Amino acid sequence: MSDKLKEIINKQGEQQNISLDQSDDIVQLVGFVIGEEEYAIPILTIQEIIKPFSWTRVPQVPKYVMGVFNLRGSVIPLIDLRLKFGLSEQKHNDETRFMVMKYEDDVAGFVIDRLTMAIRLKKSDIGPAPDTLNGEDTMIEGVGKQEDKIITILKVNKLLERDF
Amino acid sequence: MDEFQEILQDFLIESFELVEKLDEDLVELENTPEDLELLNGIFRVAHTVKGASSFLNFDVLTHLTHHMEDVLNKARHGEIIITPDIMDVVLESIDLMKALLNTIRDTSADAGIDVSDCVVKLDKISGGDGEVESPKAVAPVKEVVQEEIVVQETQEDELDYDNMSDDDVEAEIQRLLNERQEEDKAKRVAKIAAGESVPEAPPEPDEEPKKKAPPPPPPPPPPPPAVKPKKEEPKAAAPVKKAPAVVEQTIRVDVKRLDHLMNLIGELVLAKNRLIKINDDVEERYEGEEFLEELNQVVSIVSLVTTDLQIAVMKTRMLPIGKVFNKFPRMIRDLTRELNKKIELEIEGEDTELDKSIVEEIGDPLVHIIRNSCDHGIEVPDVRIASGKPEAGTISLKAYNEGNQIVIQIDDDGKGLDVEVIKNKALENGVVSEKEADGMSDKEAFGLILKAGFSTAAAVTSVSGRGVGMDVVKTNIEKVNGIIDIESEKGQGSSIKLKIPLTLAIIQALLVGVQEEYYAIPLSSVLETVRISKEEIYTVEGRSVMRLRDEVLSLVHIGDIFEVERILDPSEYAYVVVLGLGAQKLGLIVDSLVGQEEIVIKSLGEYLKGIEGIAGATIRGDGGVTLIVDVVALMDMAKNVKASAMVEASGGSGSQEVKEKTKASDYTIMIVDDSKTDRMIMKKALEGTGMTIVEAGDGQEALNILKQGDHNFDGMLVDIEMPRMDGYSLATEIKKYNRYKNLPLIAVTSRTGKSDRMRGVESGMVEYITKPYSADYLSSVVQRNVNFKSEFL
Repeated sequence: MSDKLKEIINKQGEQQNISLDQSDDIVQLVGFVIGEEEYAIPILTIQEIIKPFSWTRVPQVPKYVMGVFNLRGSVIPLIDLRLKFGLSEQKHNDETRFMVMKYEDDVAGFVIDRLTMAIRLKKSDIGPAPDTLNGEDTMIEGVGKQEDKIITILKVNKLLERDF
Repeated sequence: MDEFQEILQDFLIESFELVEKLDEDLVELENTPEDLELLNGIFRVAHTVKGASSFLNFDVLTHLTHHMEDVLNKARHGEIIITPDIMDVVLESIDLMKALLNTIRDTSADAGIDVSDCVVKLDKISGGDGEVESPKAVAPVKEVVQEEIVVQETQEDELDYDNMSDDDVEAEIQRLLNERQEEDKAKRVAKIAAGESVPEAPPEPDEEPKKKAPPPPPPPPPPPPAVKPKKEEPKAAAPVKKAPAVVEQTIRVDVKRLDHLMNLIGELVLAKNRLIKINDDVEERYEGEEFLEELNQVVSIVSLVTTDLQIAVMKTRMLPIGKVFNKFPRMIRDLTRELNKKIELEIEGEDTELDKSIVEEIGDPLVHIIRNSCDHGIEVPDVRIASGKPEAGTISLKAYNEGNQIVIQIDDDGKGLDVEVIKNKALENGVVSEKEADGMSDKEAFGLILKAGFSTAAAVTSVSGRGVGMDVVKTNIEKVNGIIDIESEKGQGSSIKLKIPLTLAIIQALLVGVQEEYYAIPLSSVLETVRISKEEIYTVEGRSVMRLRDEVLSLVHIGDIFEVERILDPSEYAYVVVLGLGAQKLGLIVDSLVGQEEIVIKSLGEYLKGIEGIAGATIRGDGGVTLIVDVVALMDMAKNVKASAMVEASGGSGSQEVKEKTKASDYTIMIVDDSKTDRMIMKKALEGTGMTIVEAGDGQEALNILKQGDHNFDGMLVDIEMPRMDGYSLATEIKKYNRYKNLPLIAVTSRTGKSDRMRGVESGMVEYITKPYSADYLSSVVQRNVNFKSEFL
């Protein structure tokens, strides 16, 4: 009796493991556009995505740090990814969003031009960053391949790192 | 192992508390060596620490405390008299004990500190009387319960554990447990009978048991514990220890929980500010409505309770400042011996309470100040007598509340500060220039001693004179938003006052506006505010200054410090916020004063920390973020800012280039009217010209469109009566912006009264079209005002 039970339990355990393995293989990302490029970051690093609202300028910081804003009682820095990536400034429009990203204890809001969609990618479809960008300093985690395009996957911890 | 950790934590907390008290008691003991009560108390501390540490197998600590106990016990029995020399050794051993406790806290082990020197000294004292044997003989007979522990301890030291069989181990554990329980009981009894010390007393017999092999009476059958039981004992013992024997009136709370609570209160204060603002808005809009009164009541209750709650939570974080003061009697004592001076310390107001985080910060500064007073302030006895002062100098340490601040005052009756000496020294060290030194008031000169690299001590002694001390004082006190006030009279002594805010998390601030931005200035650094006109600002050596009553105040524009873009036309008047920090003063020019508000300090987070001039941020009633000015840093920054000007500010009005118009659609007109039909009519009238038309539904919307700067407008048609913001206010607002100063505004209205026209002109309208009008007339007025080139028609 107990042997049988064990067997069943083992089997169930194996099945669970298998399904876990499968989900392990898939990476869930959120895609967004800055300028002409499409980028993505892991969905779990996103705390929330909100429509733009007012912020307060902070002096003595690089131009891409737009300032700070109030997210339900927390003061959070706001960073314009267009400027950070060396593109020109652009007025916020209906599609502009603040994407609040989180890595460990660091939180910051990033201004993006528009959202695209949630993406599920197999791990095998993600290649390493181009060689020229390798090393510790790169903000690129890897390059995801989809049928018709490629998406640059960004390192959230690098984005949240102060570099001034 | 967790339980072991738990016990260890309890042990550490208890020990640190005991040791802290010990210092004070010992110094007092030196003055009254006969005080048996005191002696017993001190003895108990050494004993308790010894007992607990042996139980936790901290051999080094046990060893040390054990010998201390020995000396103290003899003193207790009148066998030795505590002389200053003996006290030195005892104090040294207590320092070692502290060091050991710290090591244990950090590493959970007591290795790495050598106590043998001190132990030898202690031995010498206790043995010097030739009475080494006596305690051994007396004690065992006296106390049974304690003896057992003694036995256990000694055995721990010497017996080999590996020889034990499993059963033996079990038995031993059981035995130890029983002992432990009994000891606990005894302790409890002792605790309850607090005053009566002796019953629990003397485990002294184990003086040198190590050499003398297994000790006296109850010989424990199984071999004793060594390493293993350390692990098992605590586990078993934990529940026993935990059972509270006395109902406690206090509970220990993790500081993190209090911090969290404080954060939540912070949120509540923000919400309250917001509620008050909304209440004001509603009041304005629905004046005289009945529900207003009810709303008012609720709002005031909420704000009252929030304030009370905030105070209540603040109080839970408060610690008596005595915690810091405690260590000074000991310090003074050491210093007097080291410096060969006679100094008495008077302490007052040690019950005054301060926020925990502040208490932690002010310890070091106080140490520095008191060391300075001892070293530089108080003279040697001969000199004192020669100058007619009592032989012993007095340093008094006082703490008291003053408004929203705590004042800690350190007075000494020493030789005081010599302004000339300070100035000369400052010149020598290059802290100030000769010119600066000459123009200095006494108070400013005293301020010099707080500068880095400054020391008046002729020679560097081990006590002070390295020129770092007072600088540390300044840094630490400023860290907690405090200010330092120095007063001194030559030959009479000096007095240093530290003024420290009660709490760090919530402060009163003055909100100021510059252009379209707002900043919060901690009210504690604001001395006063004055309104001045531009003519009152003078430029001296490239710096702006003004005359404030009988002094000259240097000025700096907040916009220059925070790189604020000048988009608004400077007004005729400006406000100067006079900031004071110790003896330093600075006038900060702002565009407007918003008011005083209670603000909650929020950090800018890891990403933006350390921005010069910004101490943090707060969230305002309207949900926006306002930055808090770091007055200390601002004063430094002000030195490097070139005088600019508010005086010449209006130079750059034509910053955006005027593009050559090449076609009719290059002309852009904004139509502002709340009626869609009216906008339609105007639009139709201008259609023929081919100009680009932008519409806005009211003044506010129009202003927003202008601010966005998507279009370069050549003219505006403005209705007068509109919701939210009417035409007059809109015109007034627009004229504040440099770049729109010359934008032609045309009023289109059915108001025809003379006074209406006058108001229009006052607010900056160039034309006044009354409804109804013909399409051609409107079109021609617009064309004339925007210099429309007729060839485009």
